[in-house]
Amino acid sequence: MMRDRFFIPAAALALSSALMSAQSTKSTIPRTADGHPDLTGVYDLATLTPVERPNGASPVYTEAEAKKLEQQVAVRKEYQGRAIDGNRPAPPKGGDGSPGPAGNVGGYNSFWIDSGSSYTIVDGQRRSSIVIDPQDGRVPELTAEARQRAAAARNQAPTSDQTAREDDPGFEKTPGAYDDPERRPLGERCLIGFGSTSGPPALPNYFYNNLHQIVQTADSVMILNEMVHDARVVRMNQPHLPPTVRRWMGDSVGRWEGDTLVVDTTNFTDKTRFRGSSPDLHVVERFTRTGPKTLLYRFTIDDPKTWTRAWTGEYTWPATDERLYEYACHEGNYALGDILRGARLKEADDARKKSR
Amino acid sequence: MAFVAAAAVPIVAHHAFGGEFDPNRPVLLKGKVTRVEWVNPHAWIHVEVAKPDGTKEEWMVEGGTPNTLLRRGITKDSLKPGTEIVVDGYQARDHSQLRANGRNVTFPDGRKLFLGSSGTGAPIDGADPTEGGAKPPTGRGRGGQ
Repeated sequence: MMRDRFFIPAAALALSSALMSAQSTKSTIPRTADGHPDLTGVYDLATLTPVERPNGASPVYTEAEAKKLEQQVAVRKEYQGRAIDGNRPAPPKGGDGSPGPAGNVGGYNSFWIDSGSSYTIVDGQRRSSIVIDPQDGRVPELTAEARQRAAAARNQAPTSDQTAREDDPGFEKTPGAYDDPERRPLGERCLIGFGSTSGPPALPNYFYNNLHQIVQTADSVMILNEMVHDARVVRMNQPHLPPTVRRWMGDSVGRWEGDTLVVDTTNFTDKTRFRGSSPDLHVVERFTRTGPKTLLYRFTIDDPKTWTRAWTGEYTWPATDERLYEYACHEGNYALGDILRGARLKEADDARKKSR
Repeated sequence: MAFVAAAAVPIVAHHAFGGEFDPNRPVLLKGKVTRVEWVNPHAWIHVEVAKPDGTKEEWMVEGGTPNTLLRRGITKDSLKPGTEIVVDGYQARDHSQLRANGRNVTFPDGRKLFLGSSGTGAPIDGADPTEGGAKPPTGRGRGGQ
């Protein structure tokens, strides 16, 4: 019965389960003086549910399936936290083989990490993906135009949801990637958190710092993202800014549809490029209180220049009593200087070798 | 020993570690904490290391974000000056900088900092991956998915 509910057509989604469950909790959810649901609070977005459904997974896990997967993650965390040899040697010369941004040197160990520990539950269902439309739980195909754009963007900075290019082991692959601070990922530059944590759409980064704080007034709703400290201010019942005004997180305007806050965002720049999107990206987010301690977050992404069709995702934001601390990203950002300085030294070294 | 190697798999996030650190300069640092820079995006642990000739030098070791640890009740006072630690990592590509990534930061007995002392790594019943033929986890953290 619950499973069937998952497969309602996309068009009907907005009127479906979330709103129905919101109605049933109508009397129990907190409200502001003007009668709207009060979304104020701190929410922990960390979850094990990935954006896209893993191959072969069903849309919804049974409780037993989810518990088993959650236990595996708990075991891995426990394992990573164990003591190692206090008399260990230095790591191997030539690198430790770590892939991706770890660039053959690794990062830092697991005590710094605070990723999710459970699958998101929506309508009592333990979801295997955030994407719910298309029904296969996968982001639709890129258009030919978007593929061309992505190829041309090889020599631009990575998109807002990347830490670095997935195939970039350090300096070696992407030409010029270390030539200019503006070629570095936005997270590395302390401009926007990686993994689209700032959004829109606001997504978990499966790593750390996934807290979001909502502050609500009658005129505006502010969504503060812990990582890199981005505050998005949603102007209520206002028209969008003129198309000439472009913003890192777009221009967000909001309205109430019944008990759901609908946030409409346009006017993106060409610098964030969520999953390769164009500046014409249009994001509609729906925030619905589903209980005193839960909020359902649903988003629809539309950008005909990028995807062959619009797509929708949703997951629950559980409220938390944890505190959200200031991030102040650039106060200690020695890393960016070290990275650029390292690149210059390597260039000089390579030039010396060449001239010999 | 395979267990040690697997358990030492570090995690990466936020930025290009391969750009910052030199794979040809592995380091093993043993010494006392002098101070901790408890700042974002990365905490830096300063450690005084004795060289073979008896002189001392101060290294800076890169960790992750402090926010997570603060929420677990771990503050800069949790890693007091004078605490002995062992760090394995790689030196910054700029060799004039005594900086390294903290692939693994442990006490001299091998317990990992914070997890070893704060009790956040709660035991899991029958979950020892080294026993019963269970395969050691190979998951490697990656940012920006």
